[in-house]
Amino acid sequence: MPRRVAIIGVGATVPRPVTPELSYRELIHEAAVRAYEEAGVEPREIGTFMPCTEDFYEGISISDEYSNDQLGAVLKPVHTIGGDGIHGIATAYMQIATGLFDTAVVEAHSKASNVLTPHHIMNYAMDPVLNRPLGENPLYVAGLEMSRFMHESGATSEECAWVVVKNRRNALSNPNGAFGAKVTVHDVLSGPAAFCPLGALEMAPPSDAAFVVVLAAEDRLPARAASPVWIRGVGWSNDSPTLETRSWARALYAEAAAQRAYRMAGIRNPARDIDCFEIDDTFSYKELQHLEALGICDRGEAGKRTARGETEIDGATPVNASGGSLGCGHMLDATGLFRTVECVRQLRGEAGQVQVKDAKTALAFGWRGVPTTSGACVVLGA
Amino acid sequence: MGLIQKSSSNQELRHYRGNIPVGNLYTAGIAGDRFFVDLRDKGRLLGTRCPSCERTFVPARHFCEECFTRLEEYVPVPSSGTVHSLTAAHVDLDGKPLDPPHVLAFITFEGCAGGLVHRLGGAPGQSFRIGDRVEMVLKDRKKRTGGINDIEHFRPAKGSRR
Repeated sequence: MPRRVAIIGVGATVPRPVTPELSYRELIHEAAVRAYEEAGVEPREIGTFMPCTEDFYEGISISDEYSNDQLGAVLKPVHTIGGDGIHGIATAYMQIATGLFDTAVVEAHSKASNVLTPHHIMNYAMDPVLNRPLGENPLYVAGLEMSRFMHESGATSEECAWVVVKNRRNALSNPNGAFGAKVTVHDVLSGPAAFCPLGALEMAPPSDAAFVVVLAAEDRLPARAASPVWIRGVGWSNDSPTLETRSWARALYAEAAAQRAYRMAGIRNPARDIDCFEIDDTFSYKELQHLEALGICDRGEAGKRTARGETEIDGATPVNASGGSLGCGHMLDATGLFRTVECVRQLRGEAGQVQVKDAKTALAFGWRGVPTTSGACVVLGA
Repeated sequence: MGLIQKSSSNQELRHYRGNIPVGNLYTAGIAGDRFFVDLRDKGRLLGTRCPSCERTFVPARHFCEECFTRLEEYVPVPSSGTVHSLTAAHVDLDGKPLDPPHVLAFITFEGCAGGLVHRLGGAPGQSFRIGDRVEMVLKDRKKRTGGINDIEHFRPAKGSRR
């Protein structure tokens, strides 16, 4: 049996649309100081570090070279991840479970407000021969995906809009909910068109924030650490990267990632066995598509269940009680780690007004956004 | 706490701008080269057939992503297909509004794995739906360069009815 691994401290900055007073490295430093405080450790006591960073978002070539000092990790083992923060959690888990290290730190951040040409960066991720020469805004990929998802699942525009209504309302009650608002289905559907059927209000706006998570082996928990939250399962996977051969209707990457995590955690029926879900909602339909891919709803049911209120904080399967990306902002590769931190708060009973009652098991799922088919999943237990 | 002092004056906040000219060459590759040369010179779409799982990939590719077999059998594919999904893009690459919007689709070809993302066109005001039959419209032979934009767009297939 591999060693059990726990999250023993989290540190975060409050997500905001802009952060002009801090550099992105100072933002990370602030989250790190908070995380070490909560875990009751000094960075020199940490065995290994997993920062998540992406050159084009930082505007720095080989940006991983700049990821250690703000974490207190100079001359320490650093394993930088070009992926979502949950990929970082999975890597930290492995490095501890295998016995290579006793403690690990995962960091992910977003200084999206410093990125002046996000769509051009995204376009540079498109196939340079087949897709990029069309010269279109690559977010059309989301429009194509939403069309086909609705066609095959039967989800309606109203049901997609309910996701926005719910998540922005939840964000109103969350101190981390930068985009909390009372909006109606009518507001969402009558908002500006973007990539039809996807409307502008159905797309998560960007936020800045940094998150640092400290993990430790069960047999090496620091005496002063916060109460442990256990990593019960991790899984990650990618569908075909090309637009030409991927699935347009189903999030197959999420299905494969979840199956691995469920197997490891011994989850047979996620809707019954898991108490709260923080899953990617970069776009309204993504929450519904991911709900079905993660096996929380049967195919074709996610929209109906959402419209019936079953994914509300007090519903049978609470989804994105935090407000999600629609309510708190999309945080580049920190999106999944933010949701992991929100799950930790839920399991500790520290989620305040968005607390899910008796939350004992939680799931966080992250997707790396257009044009990726990259998903990562973690199941956490109190 | 690590950060004792934070600036709280907007007027003192400082930032610097930076950019680099990013330039790359992209090699079409063995299969990509044959696909685009055929498109330019013969005006047709080329796929590759997998002898092992018996699927034909469009556009032509050099390896099968299902069974990892090397693909060497090139076969022409009919240039009319079906709208698998579509969207109307109201925003351009710089984030500026597009009016009228650009209609983009993923088009599949009968009996083939894969497909193409491209523009839909036709008479002004033409509307499209998933399942519509469409055909490829090429640029004039002299204007083709051996790239994806040698295809002007896809338009409703002749004789197609909903």
